[in-house]
Amino acid sequence: MIEFLYTNAWGAFIVLLMFQIPFLIVFFHIVNKKAFTDSAPSKTKPEKYSAYRYGWTVLVLVAFVVVNGASIKYMPTVVEANAATDKNVKDVEVTAVSWAFQFSENEFNVGETVRFKAKSTDTVHSFALHHPDGHLLFTMMLIPGAGSESALVHTFTEPGEYTVRCLEYCGIAHHAMKNTFTVN
Amino acid sequence: MSAAINIIDKVPFFGGMFRVESNELNPVNAWPSLIAMTSFIWFAIAAILGISMPAIQFLDLGSNWYYQNITLHGAAMAFPFAFQLMAAMSLHRAGACLGKRADDIFVSLFYIFMNVGALLLTVAVLLGFHVTYTVMFPLPVVGVMTGQWSMFTLVLGFTGIALVLTSMIFIYPIKILRMSFFERTDSTLQVAERSMKDPGMIGMVMGVLVLLVAGTPLMLVAGSLLLHLYGIFPAAWIGWAANPIVFEFVFYIFAHNLMEAMAIMIIGAVYSTLPLCTADGSRKLYSDKIAILALWILLITSVTSFFHHFFTMYPALPSTFAYHGNIMSFATGIGGALTIFTILATIWKHGIIPTPALFLILGGFVMYILDGVSAIIISNVAWNFKLHGTMWAGGHAMVVLIAISALWMGVLYYHYPLMTNRTIDDSTARSCIKYFFISYIGLFYTFLAAGAAGMPRRNGAWESDWYIFGVFMLIFGVMLLYAFVLYFLSLRRSKALDY
Repeated sequence: MIEFLYTNAWGAFIVLLMFQIPFLIVFFHIVNKKAFTDSAPSKTKPEKYSAYRYGWTVLVLVAFVVVNGASIKYMPTVVEANAATDKNVKDVEVTAVSWAFQFSENEFNVGETVRFKAKSTDTVHSFALHHPDGHLLFTMMLIPGAGSESALVHTFTEPGEYTVRCLEYCGIAHHAMKNTFTVN
Repeated sequence: MSAAINIIDKVPFFGGMFRVESNELNPVNAWPSLIAMTSFIWFAIAAILGISMPAIQFLDLGSNWYYQNITLHGAAMAFPFAFQLMAAMSLHRAGACLGKRADDIFVSLFYIFMNVGALLLTVAVLLGFHVTYTVMFPLPVVGVMTGQWSMFTLVLGFTGIALVLTSMIFIYPIKILRMSFFERTDSTLQVAERSMKDPGMIGMVMGVLVLLVAGTPLMLVAGSLLLHLYGIFPAAWIGWAANPIVFEFVFYIFAHNLMEAMAIMIIGAVYSTLPLCTADGSRKLYSDKIAILALWILLITSVTSFFHHFFTMYPALPSTFAYHGNIMSFATGIGGALTIFTILATIWKHGIIPTPALFLILGGFVMYILDGVSAIIISNVAWNFKLHGTMWAGGHAMVVLIAISALWMGVLYYHYPLMTNRTIDDSTARSCIKYFFISYIGLFYTFLAAGAAGMPRRNGAWESDWYIFGVFMLIFGVMLLYAFVLYFLSLRRSKALDY
């Protein structure tokens, strides 16, 4: 479950709702009650407000720490750093230029771990790898003159046709800047 | 009679919404009314362009049209609409609360620079300068080199952008700072006295300082490039400014903090307006201290959270900056949480009068918080790599502007009787709020779901899997436009105040 939350963009959507729905319920309850049902001054004692304030702040802090702490393992930067010395990782060079990608290799096997090292030679592009079902596996922003290539590792777990797209607007044929490769 | 009143009187339809009587409060009312009216004209253009975008995809009218409209739509929504509306209302608020004139040379220069600049940019875009409102440097130059647009459109477009940025980064902040600290108080203009210790006024000053500080580096870089384009600076002088990394970083330090400044300023406006609508007449926030603490937290944490725009450059962006940006982005949520508490505790403690002005402000606040959650989620490093560049990011940028606009439109409802001596049409205003909120929720979740499904933003050729999201964008976009029409009508149908 936790792995799904952090490795799939729909996981982000679920966590979003987990924050938003309680907020919406509480907000509308209070506004409805104090605008339409009973707008008289509240008889709640001042010390209760203090207790709620500290409780609410601690709740938010804990939620933020838990959500971010649990995500560390799934951060691509951490995964890439852990794979830095792994000799089984296959390095693939990618060059982005308006409006095409050039790969040093474009056929991979299930179970293979690949480090995509990408750079742009003209303007701002990105290297975005989409799963065969359409969702985004990861994206890397490529700014010319950035000093070093953007690089991430990915392990292919499913066969199929993967699509690479540029997600940073790069001119009048930006939409045509895509490529596919096969994982057997 | 003020030049601003003359102009308002001559503008069809929109002029009728903002007609100002000639009286002793003209120095506070006239120019803010003109600026607000002009912002809504830009909105009308931007909204039609926004709705056209899914329609262009469905009718297969061509990607070039799409890129033209997305550039104009984004630029018009962010600058001459949302920012200009904010400027109008904050100038009015500062004028009426501090007893300062809002009709001097700074105000007219702001108006001219903002609108002439936006017009020049519009002409450049219509001539082919399709760079989106985030500029994506060095694309403007690469576009000339690859024959996508001409050098003339580049110079014209950059001139327009420079004028707009000058109005936002220098003229407007300097005017607000002068009003807050330096200009002479005229007690006849001071309709609702407030001190600079008031959370609302503090939020306004913080907001303009952020614009000034975060925007100055961008002005230095963009100004150097522009002077080179004019032939004044030789190429050897501007090599540093033409480095894409330099431009991208100074651009996002400003662009990110522009949104934060607008948010801090509008939270200040909520802190000012909410107490005026308490049912028990106490006219107090739950706690001024907590309100000010929340503003400080928002200010400090937001400044360096801009790194979240560059997480996916790893390792070109060292991971330490990425983690810092992640932590700071979530830390803005602490400021947000304290703001939520202050507002709900105020409502709970004192009760509220359910006026359209307050309900649009509270609705806008809910929209702002919902969007804030989407912003901090995408600012987590793990999720950012799966959402950056998708409709999630595009949706966040769009809905934060809608939320901020809704808040200022609520403030405008509150200020309207003072500005125009008329009262809004209550029932039309209530209908507007319903449609506004429903369409916001629809657009918000459609964009976020599209992003989660991997749909790219700013893509001129949608694939068939993405059409379903486009259908919902079109439906809710039309509904939002209808909400705005109702808003305009609620002002058009206003009645003279009965003393």
